[in-house]
Amino acid sequence: MPEGKAAAAWQDTSIKYPYQDKAAAGPLSLALEAGERLLLLGPSGCGKSTLLNTLTGLIPGTIPAEVTGEVQLFGEKVKSRPPAEWSRQVAQLFQDADQTLCGMTVADEVAFALENLGLPEGEILQRTAAAIDRVGLEPAFGVRRTMRLSGGEKQLVAMAAALAQGAPLFVADEPTAHLAPRAAERLRALLLEPGRSTSVLIIDHRLDGLIDRVDRVAVMGPDGTLVAQGPPAALFREHGELLARFGIWQPLASLLDAELASANLAASDPPLHLSDVLTHIDRLPPDARRLATGIARAFVGRRVRPAIDAGATLSALKGADCAPLFGPVVLRDVSVELRAGEVLGILGGNGAGKSTLGASLAGLLRLKGGRRSGPPGGMAFQNPENQFVTGSLREEIESATDAILTAPEREQRVATMLRRWRLEGLENSHPYELSQGQKRRLALATLTASGRWPFLVLDEPTAGLDAAGAAAVAAQVANLADIGHGVAVITHDMDFALAVCHRVVLVGEGGLIGEGRPGELMRDHALMARAGLEPPTILPALEWLERVPTC
Amino acid sequence: MLSRIHPLAKLVVCLIWIAVSIFVFDAWLQIFIIAMAALALIVLERRSVLLVLALMVPFALFGFGFLTTSVLFRQESDFALQMARETPLGSEAFSAGIVLFLRAIACGMVSAVFALTTDPGGLIKALMANWRLPPSIGFSLFAALQLVPDIASEAQQIRLARAMKKGRPPRRIPGPLETASLVIPLLAFAIRRATRTAIALEARGLSPDRPRTIVGAPPFRRGDITFAVLSLALAAAAIWVVIGTGSG
Repeated sequence: MPEGKAAAAWQDTSIKYPYQDKAAAGPLSLALEAGERLLLLGPSGCGKSTLLNTLTGLIPGTIPAEVTGEVQLFGEKVKSRPPAEWSRQVAQLFQDADQTLCGMTVADEVAFALENLGLPEGEILQRTAAAIDRVGLEPAFGVRRTMRLSGGEKQLVAMAAALAQGAPLFVADEPTAHLAPRAAERLRALLLEPGRSTSVLIIDHRLDGLIDRVDRVAVMGPDGTLVAQGPPAALFREHGELLARFGIWQPLASLLDAELASANLAASDPPLHLSDVLTHIDRLPPDARRLATGIARAFVGRRVRPAIDAGATLSALKGADCAPLFGPVVLRDVSVELRAGEVLGILGGNGAGKSTLGASLAGLLRLKGGRRSGPPGGMAFQNPENQFVTGSLREEIESATDAILTAPEREQRVATMLRRWRLEGLENSHPYELSQGQKRRLALATLTASGRWPFLVLDEPTAGLDAAGAAAVAAQVANLADIGHGVAVITHDMDFALAVCHRVVLVGEGGLIGEGRPGELMRDHALMARAGLEPPTILPALEWLERVPTC
Repeated sequence: MLSRIHPLAKLVVCLIWIAVSIFVFDAWLQIFIIAMAALALIVLERRSVLLVLALMVPFALFGFGFLTTSVLFRQESDFALQMARETPLGSEAFSAGIVLFLRAIACGMVSAVFALTTDPGGLIKALMANWRLPPSIGFSLFAALQLVPDIASEAQQIRLARAMKKGRPPRRIPGPLETASLVIPLLAFAIRRATRTAIALEARGLSPDRPRTIVGAPPFRRGDITFAVLSLALAAAAIWVVIGTGSG
C-alpha cells in the first residue's frame, strides 16, 4: 500500500458475503492517488461494485459482509466513521439513477447531500443552481419532479447532485450503462472534465471516449483479485491477451493495434484512438501500408454485418400506433417488418419508444391503431429479473426447454446452455443472486433453450455485459439468424448494432425517422443527431477505408 | 389558490372539517361540506365540474354500502338509527342511511381537496421543519412516492414476460390468480429497491445522528392564518346553524 495520504486505498482487502464459500472480491491492494482518475475494469460478477461499496463502509456497515484487510480514505481508516459521515469526502454516482433519486424535485435532489451536511441555506441554493447549470440543465428544470424525467435526464440530475457535493473523491459505478450514446458522452465529459482536481474512481464497460480521460486502469480478474494496472494505452497493449481471456472490454484502437503488432506493423507508441492507428498506417512505407490496410480492412469487415437476402416475413407492423401497457400512444403510423434470417436493429435515444416498438413487434402489446401480422415472438426484457419464475438457474432453463425432450435430453440441453452462456457452476444459485451480466445471460439462455420462437426481440441485450458476454450474445444472434430465425435487437451500442444487424430502424420524434443498412444510416450525422445517437466508434475506420485504394 | 396555503394549516383545517362531518350526524351539514369542497375545487382551483363529479363516484360507492346496509339490515343498524334520533344535532328529515352515505362523500371530498391542492414534497418538508418528522421517515416517504409508479411499471413488465411464455398478450385487467402471483415478485422488487435507495441515501450523507438543513420548506404566511381562522369560523357557524335548526 502506498505511503502518504492516497485518496483511497485498499490493503490486502478481501470481502466475503454471508453464507458464501468464496470471497466476492480480493484479496487485493490498490490505491488511488489524490487528483488521479482511475478506471476499474473486470469481467461481470468479479466484485468491482462490492469493492466500491467498501470505500465508505457501506460494506460491512450497511450491507453485511466479512471484510478483512484495511480500507482507507485520505489516510483515515474507513471504519472510523459511519458511512454517511464520508459524504463530505466522497460523492457517489450509482448505475441506476432511480435508486439514487428520492422522488423530489430536481432542485431538492441536488440540494439533498448539502442539506445533510448542515450547510447554510444560502450556500446550498447557490451550489444547487451552479450544479444544475454545470450539467447543462435549464434553471427551470429545478422545479420539475424527477419521476417525470427520462432515464438520461435522471442520470444527469444524479450527476448534478454528486457534483454539488464538491467532494474531493468522486466514485461512479457504471454511470452510463443505461444511457443512449449522446447522453453517455455528456456524462463522461462532466465526470472527467479536464482541470478538475477531484480524484475519480470509475467502473464502466464502455471504454471508447473514456480511456483518454483517465490516468490509470486497474484490472480485476474473475476471482476478484487485481491482475494488472497501468496507464491505459500501455496496459491494453501489454495485457491485451489477458484481458481477452478474461472477457474484458478493450478499445477498438488497442484491438487493431494488436493485430498490426502480430505482423510487426504496430506503432512504437501504443494508441488510444482509432484515428491514431489509421494515421500511423498512412505514414507507413508503401508495402507495409498495403499490408496494414489489408489487416485494417479485415478488422473492420468482421465488425460490419454484410447485407443479406432475408426470407419470409415473420412479423410485420403496418401503420401501427404503439403504446405501452395501459399507456398512451408513443409511436404513430409505424410500418416495419422482421424477416427470417434477418437481424433488425431498433435504435434511438432514451425514452424514444424502442421497447414499446419491440414488444409490439413481438405481439405482446395490443396496437392502438394499424395492424400486426405474424406469430408471437419471444422477448428478452431490459430487466432480466422479470422473466425469472423459479428458484434456480437449472430449473429456469429446464422450464424453458421443449416439452417433448426426454429427461436425459433435457439434462443435456441445460448443460449446453449453461456452458454456452458461461453460467457453469451457478446452476443451483437463485437467479436473483447473479450479477446483472449473469442475469442477462440467463434470460437469453432461457429464450434460446427451445425452438419455440420463430423470432426474438432482445431489449438492450449487451447492457452491463463484459466483452465475452457481448461476444456470446453477438454469436448467438448470428447463429439464430443463420438458422432462419428473425432477431430484433434494441440497443444503445452502435458498434454492436453495426456488427450484428443487417438492417436498422431509427426511432424518434414519435415514430420511425429512418430505416436502412446500418453502415449507411450511421454515416448520416444529422439523422443520428435527430435520434439522439452518436456514430459508432468504428466509423472513422469505415470512412478511412473508403478513401484508401483497395490494392 | 388553495395550493398556496401552507400544507399544515390546510391539513389541520381539513382534519377539523372531517371531524365535524363524523361527529355531527346531520344530512344538511354533510351536504354543506360536500358543496363547500366541490366549490373550492371548481371556483378556487378551477377544476372541471366533471372531474369533481367523477371524484365523488368512489366515495359515493363506498357510502352506498352504508345506505344499503342501513335499509336492508335495519336490525343491525339500530345503533346508527338511534344515533340519528338521539343526537342533539341530528335531523329527523333524513334516514340514518342517507346521513352515512353523505358522510362518506363529505369526508372523501375534504380529503380530495387536500390531496389535489397539496404538493406532497411541500407537505413532507413542512412536517420535517415544523412537526419534527424524522428525516429518515420523511425521505422514506419521498422514496415511496417514487416507488409507486415504478412498481406499476415493474408489474407490467412481469405481466408481459409471463404473457410471452403463454404466447398471447396480457389481459387488460389481471385475474385474481395472476394478481396473486404478482405479489411476491413485486414485494421482492420493492424490498430490493428500498434497500438500494436506503444505501444511496446513506451514501449521500443522510444520518439520524446529525442536524441537517431543510431548504424550501413552505413558510407560514399571514394568509394561512386568515384561511385557518375563516375556515374554522365557517365550521363553527355551520354547527351553530345545525343546532339552531335541528334538535336545538
